[in-house]
Amino acid sequence: MTAAMTRRALLGGGVALTAGLATGVAGARILPKDMVPLIGPGYRAIDQDEKGLWQQMERVEEEVAGSNLLIKDPALTGYLGDLIGRVGGPAATDMRIYLARIPEFNAVMFPTGFAVIFSGLLVRMRNEAQLAGVVAHESAHFLRKHQLRQWRDVKRKTDIFSFLAMGAGVAGGATGVYAGDLVRLAQFGTILSLLRYNRTLEAEADAMGVRLLAGAGYDPTAMSETWQQLIAELDLSAKYRRKKRERDFSLFSTHPAPESRMADLRISAAETKQPGRTYNAYRDRYLAALASIRPTLLDDQVKLNDPGASQYVVNTLAKDGWNGLLRFHEGEIWRLRNRKGDDIRAAQGYAASILYPDAPADAWRWHGIMLMKQGRTAEARAALAHYLQMAPNAPDAPFVRQMMAS
Amino acid sequence: MRRLGIALVASVALAGCVQTRQYSDVEFTPPQGEYKLLVMRPDVTVGSVTTGGLVEPRADWTETARAKLLAALRAQQAGRGGNVLILDRRDSLPGVDADTMAELERLHYAVGSSIALHRYSGAYLPTKRGKGLDWTLGEDAVALGRRTGYDYALFLHAEDSFASTGRVALQVLGVAGCLVGFCAPNIGGAGQFAYASLVDLRTGEVVWFNVLQAGSQIAGIKMGDIRTDAGAAQMVDRLLDRMKPGRDVRRRQRASQ
Repeated sequence: MTAAMTRRALLGGGVALTAGLATGVAGARILPKDMVPLIGPGYRAIDQDEKGLWQQMERVEEEVAGSNLLIKDPALTGYLGDLIGRVGGPAATDMRIYLARIPEFNAVMFPTGFAVIFSGLLVRMRNEAQLAGVVAHESAHFLRKHQLRQWRDVKRKTDIFSFLAMGAGVAGGATGVYAGDLVRLAQFGTILSLLRYNRTLEAEADAMGVRLLAGAGYDPTAMSETWQQLIAELDLSAKYRRKKRERDFSLFSTHPAPESRMADLRISAAETKQPGRTYNAYRDRYLAALASIRPTLLDDQVKLNDPGASQYVVNTLAKDGWNGLLRFHEGEIWRLRNRKGDDIRAAQGYAASILYPDAPADAWRWHGIMLMKQGRTAEARAALAHYLQMAPNAPDAPFVRQMMAS
Repeated sequence: MRRLGIALVASVALAGCVQTRQYSDVEFTPPQGEYKLLVMRPDVTVGSVTTGGLVEPRADWTETARAKLLAALRAQQAGRGGNVLILDRRDSLPGVDADTMAELERLHYAVGSSIALHRYSGAYLPTKRGKGLDWTLGEDAVALGRRTGYDYALFLHAEDSFASTGRVALQVLGVAGCLVGFCAPNIGGAGQFAYASLVDLRTGEVVWFNVLQAGSQIAGIKMGDIRTDAGAAQMVDRLLDRMKPGRDVRRRQRASQ
């Protein structure tokens, strides 16, 4: 009887503990004004655990810097370096950016101040302010020593948990009470608490990102726009697959839910803007910097064969005006999906593309092939001739000539 | 009380162990006499095991251990008669740039992972049965050998970790618990793990591979310490000094005796 009572009391306590850990302060928005940098220029590792972390990360950076996934175009990497110089706060000249050719929406900051930006991020951003927002968010991770604080949090909580678990076992052994349930509950509580800390740090990086962005004269609302775009893209991608967007149960996420991030970012942006100051998006500068690489970026995205996401990306970019490149990729999305009727949609995309002066050679090629399939041979030959004129040394040029002759 | 004593001794006896497992090409003969060996930049990490069981890397320990290991390796190779160059950095081999070395290290990492999976982790391949060690780095390794004149390349990886005070205290608590019937005498967590891989630069083949594991399941009891001269020499000895010839070579030796 006594044992049973004790066990119930212990369990009750454990539930309360778990609930307390899990809910805590989650939900309160972190204010940009509170987000001061924790490090200054030329920062180096100070403490012993940090030095160990840095030493490992130097090896990681060596590997990243030598990776064959990197896009090394000096104009582009120089442009990204300028960006981090603007929104990098006190560590602006210490941080490094590597651009990896991975068609995913992601960017990562490492504890020693180098960031890896995925090329899939560049293709999605409508202007420089949006990209600078992501870079500012990543800078904030470094400026607020997030990886180190994260590591210390994990270390502290697993230390406490280990002692509690062992202590509970020994105490249970001494009193004859089975403490396994309680220990499992505490373990669950520890995991939830670690995840919550991770979400707090992400929220900090968002808040500080807004502050850095506005400080550099960028329109800080760009960050919430980015999230709006991401949510809509995920929705459309899921819809095309007849699914619903996956939503993590918030307790188990490493990042706050996109919706709440978007909402917090919007409020933070409004709060940070100073009346009378002008904020810019710098769209033209962004387009100019990306001009040489955009065809590759779009091509990588379309070849993922995720038609919902690709169409969203193309349509989002087209909000600033259609052009031959976007129309061509619109056609490509349908051609690659290849369901009933998609060939007609693809043909329409190519036909629209060639009306623009910037239509890529491949648009003419596919336009010609589609016309050929429809039996419009004369028009097809003209389109293919245009293709050969634009790309006389294309690998398939002899094949196309053959096709035109037959 | 007596039964507990026996149980503890048994767990201690089982818990502390040093083991190596080597595989070699069936025609492998351990390098002897005048050979030229290139030791690729050794990959060394030393850390401290936190109370919760995580390994926290320690920069100072790692630096010390690396230096001690290199010295021990030099001494060991001097005894075998080899002409050795140990690369401190990726660019310390004259005439070969760091990128080329990095490429070869990455290639070896992939091949070594495959050896680990199919020779050590139980995912045995029927096509490799009875073939000793049948992996190669291919033309890249041969090209390096041709360019530099080295006969062998040695790839080294070493990890060592030590229980922190908190971890030891937790272990003490676990052992003390045995008195009241809650026994956790071997929470472990610290120890050594190392591997060495010898590549014949004339053929590109991985001719010899050895894995060393040393550790105790009782936090606080060490089975080696590569931060010391003696400990580093011990690891080099355990890992490299008992190279066995390949199966076919051994058979011929036995037949001729």
